[in-house]
Amino acid sequence: MVSWSGRRKALTILAFIGPTLLGILALNIYPIIYNVYISFTNRNQYHPNPDCTVFLTSVIEPGCWPMFRSNAGMGQPYVIQEPLFANYDSLIGKLFTGEGVLALVKLALLFAPLIIAGQVNKRLDRQLTRPVSSFWVWIGGLAITVLLAWILNVGGAMKTLEASSDFFIVVFRTLLFVVITVPLNYIFGLILALVLNGDYIKGRTFFRAIMIIPWAASTMFIIMSLIWQFFFREQGTINQILRAFGGEGLAWLANGNYALAAIILVNLWFSFPFCFNIILGALQSIPADQYEAADVDGATYWQQLVNITLPLLRPSVMPAIVLSAIGGGGFQMFGTVWAMTGGGPSQGAGVPGATELVMVYAYKQVFQYNAYAKAGAFAVIIFIFLFIATLYSMRISRITQGAYE
Amino acid sequence: MKKFWSMLSVLLIAAMLLVSCTPKATATPVATEETAKPVTITIWHQWDGAYLTAIQAVFDAYTAAHPNVTIDLTKPDNVSDALKVAIPAGEGPDIIGWANDQIGSQALVGNIVDLGTLGVDQAFLESTYEPAAVAGVVWQGKIWALPESQEGIAIVYNKALASETDFPADPTDFADLLAKAEAFAAANSGKYLICNQGLGNADAYHVAPVYFGHGMPTYIDDAGNSYLNSAEAQAAAEWIVKFHEVAPAETSHEICKTMLVEGNAAAWWTGPWAIADLEAAGIDYGILPMGSPFVGIKSLMISRNAVDRGTAEVALDVIKFFTNAENSKTIALANKTIPANTAALLDADVQAMATVAGFGAALNLGVPMANTPFAGAQWGPVGDMTNAIWTGAQTPADALAAAQAAAEEAIAGMK
Repeated sequence: MVSWSGRRKALTILAFIGPTLLGILALNIYPIIYNVYISFTNRNQYHPNPDCTVFLTSVIEPGCWPMFRSNAGMGQPYVIQEPLFANYDSLIGKLFTGEGVLALVKLALLFAPLIIAGQVNKRLDRQLTRPVSSFWVWIGGLAITVLLAWILNVGGAMKTLEASSDFFIVVFRTLLFVVITVPLNYIFGLILALVLNGDYIKGRTFFRAIMIIPWAASTMFIIMSLIWQFFFREQGTINQILRAFGGEGLAWLANGNYALAAIILVNLWFSFPFCFNIILGALQSIPADQYEAADVDGATYWQQLVNITLPLLRPSVMPAIVLSAIGGGGFQMFGTVWAMTGGGPSQGAGVPGATELVMVYAYKQVFQYNAYAKAGAFAVIIFIFLFIATLYSMRISRITQGAYE
Repeated sequence: MKKFWSMLSVLLIAAMLLVSCTPKATATPVATEETAKPVTITIWHQWDGAYLTAIQAVFDAYTAAHPNVTIDLTKPDNVSDALKVAIPAGEGPDIIGWANDQIGSQALVGNIVDLGTLGVDQAFLESTYEPAAVAGVVWQGKIWALPESQEGIAIVYNKALASETDFPADPTDFADLLAKAEAFAAANSGKYLICNQGLGNADAYHVAPVYFGHGMPTYIDDAGNSYLNSAEAQAAAEWIVKFHEVAPAETSHEICKTMLVEGNAAAWWTGPWAIADLEAAGIDYGILPMGSPFVGIKSLMISRNAVDRGTAEVALDVIKFFTNAENSKTIALANKTIPANTAALLDADVQAMATVAGFGAALNLGVPMANTPFAGAQWGPVGDMTNAIWTGAQTPADALAAAQAAAEEAIAGMK
């Protein structure tokens, strides 16, 4: 055999990992670099083509590479923005003026009572007998939050923030969507899983199979979303049923709040089977002797649920919750919304529509307004945001590993 | 034995490598045999439903006369998005059938080519097509398309449900239209006089007759001036608020068509493209002008890819054939459209059609649709503004001010 000299070894290793490395560079790293570069230019419909005499452009822009080189149209080429961060400034600049920061601080302060309530509960849990139940601590925290919101005039602060940037409106609305939709999906899934995990239900297998149907249908979610859209139309199924009972429905999707509610409802229909399945699987892995011991101790169903079932579900369900909050059913929701409302109903020109979530906004910026540079800057900010959220979620899921120990 | 197999496999691999290295039979095109070479012409179009049948027949006639040419008709859902991806990849169509307002922005990106470079000159255009159509396809002194037909929208009503007296005699009298819509709704519970897909749906094109009919000169003119926050726009917006009470809340092309066919609406504010479908459904219709619509020119452009592939000459021949007097007349008679070809329009049979009289009157009141890139800045703001007024999300004054600001911002980004 040939001996492994240092250089030879290194070359061999490189030859083996080379293809993968190239793949990662070409498919992961290059698009990110390209996007970041575009986000510093003024590229839009009227400055659509590259100026290949600029060195950086000629290297990064595929349109300048010899094999793709093509004749330019009548438009002006795009250039680097002056100042460099102009796109970022127009997206989030106003959030960092004195007024914007003040409003953001007010908003952040609202969370303080809830965090304190959590800490107080943790401390009280360590004592042998609690002076107050955790429920009342949370209620107290919530009450102080509401009081604080009133004192600080958070409504006014929200108005300032909404007026200052589309970015805030879109991200806040998306967070609101996630905060409502994810717990709703899991609570619904949990209830169904608890019911169908009971030994007394006849035809359990049949019902469990039925529950999978929406999930199976979500592979053709565009069609299903369009069917749901038809349900909510002015002349749609829901209103026809209402009319049969003498009621008078409205054009649900033409009203901003109802449209958002409709999307949450449809997303629930698509997503609960997934939650249901995860929870059902986790329920079946809980050892039966725990419940037998609890029965012997005289624990009620409710006590068993709160003290045995939920804590033992946590390690398997928590990562799934976090992933669905960040993923396509949560923060990155696109398909269902696009098919049902297209981001509408309109709230006026120049303002995001009532159901324009983060991904819908980005899509519209690129494909309807051709604002490539602005959409690039938006994507960079969202990327940073999601990157932090993902890191945090990894921490959460590691913490939960301790539950069985 | 083992050695034999390994030898064999090495030889096989070597043989394969050698085969793949052999230079391909040189495919230099022979210029003299250009016409005999098989050519596939891809056309991306917007022709819909029954409308397509007559058009298909014309292309079939072309391929019958030129057996080496195959014509592939495709209707992408969103031409603008599809072109963005397909043209740089070299997989775009040879011919794009589109309205003339797209010319400016497509020429800016370089998706379409100047037909002057393929030998089309102004004299040919002026001698063949109507002056309005010629003006619609020329931008910055260059010819970007050949015109197919002229179109604008008018009130198409079902004679079984309404008569001419149910609509204003004066096409600029919107107060009368509102009064008549109220009277019709009162007399026919749950039914509407008119379905307009620009009201109840973000669609600046179909709502244009309302704004322009109230005296607005256009949305955004060739110099980039925006008229969205004018007094005329304010009057139109207030009319829209009142009209909401007697019109379907949610609309689209399909909803309006269904309402007219099923008798839930007496009229549909639409253009020549809808006529073929209505005839197929057996509706006895009449056409009346109302307001002043956008006058658009349906046109055929040649893409950059056709030039790269060397099919541009054939593509040009196809669109010249398609828009010549004889074929324009055939299509106009079948689809009840208004041809852009002068000889076809002046033909006695074409002149005798009810649609030419009805839509022609609307076109005479209309506002020409600009083909400058500024035209791209009008659709989003006007659609959103009208929708916000329609649903009550914004007051007319707020909506108009916001739309004016949005349009001005978009125009500033172009300069």
